[in-house]
This record gives sequence, structure tokens and C-alpha cells, in this order.
Amino acid sequence: MAETATDVELIARARTGDDRAFAALVDRYERAVAATVIGMLGPGDDADDVGQETFIRFHRALGSFRGESSLKTYLVHIAMNLSLNALKRRRRSVLRFVSRDQQKADGDPLDELPEPRTGPEGDVDANELKILVRDAVRRLGEKHRAVVVLRLFHDCSTKETAEILGVPEGTVLSRLSRAMKELESMLRPYVHAGAALPENLR
Amino acid sequence: MIDHDDRASSDDALESLIRGAAPTSFSPGFSNRVDARIRADGSLSLSDALERQVRRVLPLVAAASLVLAAYNWWNARGSSTSALDAALNLPRVTLSAAYEPSSLYGGANSSVGTP
Repeated sequence: MAETATDVELIARARTGDDRAFAALVDRYERAVAATVIGMLGPGDDADDVGQETFIRFHRALGSFRGESSLKTYLVHIAMNLSLNALKRRRRSVLRFVSRDQQKADGDPLDELPEPRTGPEGDVDANELKILVRDAVRRLGEKHRAVVVLRLFHDCSTKETAEILGVPEGTVLSRLSRAMKELESMLRPYVHAGAALPENLR
Repeated sequence: MIDHDDRASSDDALESLIRGAAPTSFSPGFSNRVDARIRADGSLSLSDALERQVRRVLPLVAAASLVLAAYNWWNARGSSTSALDAALNLPRVTLSAAYEPSSLYGGANSSVGTP
């Protein structure tokens, strides 16, 4: 029943206090929020908290949600803002407790991606490769990472990405271009025009 | 030309590699955790709801108070009471009035307390 209902129907029911309708919305959009939050923060409790907070904010705003943008865009927008705030908090905490030398030592050198486990024929396991790619995305600067998450994880248009991040479209394009160059240099050994990619990642 | 084609296909491969690596879910039980947080949030939303109600009636209450104050002041015009006393409809307090407590209640039964 809830699976076939449209977002508008589920929202209308959730407004009347129907918990199951809201739970159906959470299930429906967990993937979109997870892609944003885990893409930005990495897996862990921090990401889980921000994911929960995204849906709590939505729940509080149910009465005022007018559906001017799609629910997915709305949730991704909240998730991205909360993730960027969490990254700011994390940075402040790192600055407070870790010395600059330590930060440099723990930096994000492009050539230090962990070696993935390989099969008997030297091929990389699909899950290992996914972890490797996510790790590479997390090594990007926040601004570049946000663009990659929105454009490639979510398939947002340049315009949508610009609106969510509050920057001009030209900025989105230039950040994406730089981010792709960085990712290419990190992931070069695993990208040979698709030849080395496992079937499910092509 | 061949280089350009190779480059384009390499870019496509990189893009599909990244697209395929998008995280898809939080740890199991995420929906239940959200539900629990929303229930815990319920106590806060009650105070939010009360605040919203107060904010809604506040302009109405302020407007009604102003109308009442203007009405009182208009009725008291020409008397020697101050504007504030008139607006608040406060009775004049004089030494003689202090000896006539009933006069504070409009004077309707002013003869009751007087010898």
C-alpha cells in the first residue's frame, strides 16, 4: 500500500500523524540521504546521526512542505547542509585537539589509497573497488567532494547542484572538472576504459 | 583522434566507476532509529506548538489592548487624570478617596461605607 502511494499521498498521511506513512518515506529516501551523508562524511555514527537529523528536520517541516521541489531534492539539500555543518564541527574539533604537524601527517595524499584485495587473477573485488572509490572521493576537498556527490552519486543536474550548494553553475563545472582530475590520478590503476571494471560497476 | 576517443572512454569509465560506488544505505535499523528520535522529539514539538499558538494570538491581543486603552482614554477625556491612568482606566487616588474605599469600586454603593 505504502509502496505504491505517491510522495504527495504519503506526506498528506504523515501530516495527520500516520507514522507508517512517514516510515515509508524514510525507507524510500534512505538511499538518497545515505549517498549524500556517507559520501560526505564517510560511514559511521556521525553519518548515521546526520541521516537521522535530516529526516527529523523533514518531519518537523511536514506542515510547511509545499512541494516546490521534489522531495528527493529537498532531502538531499537538507542532508548536504547538515553534512557540511558536521564537517565544519569536525574540522574545529581537529584544529583544537590535533597539532598542525599531526594534521599534515594524516593529510590526504593522493598516492596513499590503500591497496585493495585482489582475486587469484589479480582482479579487484567489486566491493573492495567501491570502498576504494568512496575513499578516494572522501580524500577530495569538501567543495569538490560536494559537487561529486551531487553530480555523480545523485545524478543532479549542474543547475540543481548549483542551487543546493548556493554557487554559480560555472563554479560547479570547474569544481567538477578539478575533482575528476584528482580522482583520475587516484584511481588511474583501476580505470582502463572500463576493461578492468567488474561487470556491476561498468 | 584515437587519443581523444581513448580519453573520452576513460572519462566515461571513471564516471561510471564513481556512480557505481554511491553508498546505498545506513546500517540496518535506520528507519527504527529515525522513528525513535521522532518520538523523543515529541516533547519538544509540544513546546514548539504552544509557542506557535502564542505567536499567532499575540498580534490580536496587542490590537485588542490598544483598542481598549484608546476607548478608556476617550471616555476619560476632559478629566484631570493622566493619560496613562485614563488608558488603564485607573480610578483617581486622592486622600479623600482613600477614606472612601467604596468609591474605588465605581461609587455605586458609595453611601454604604459612609456614616
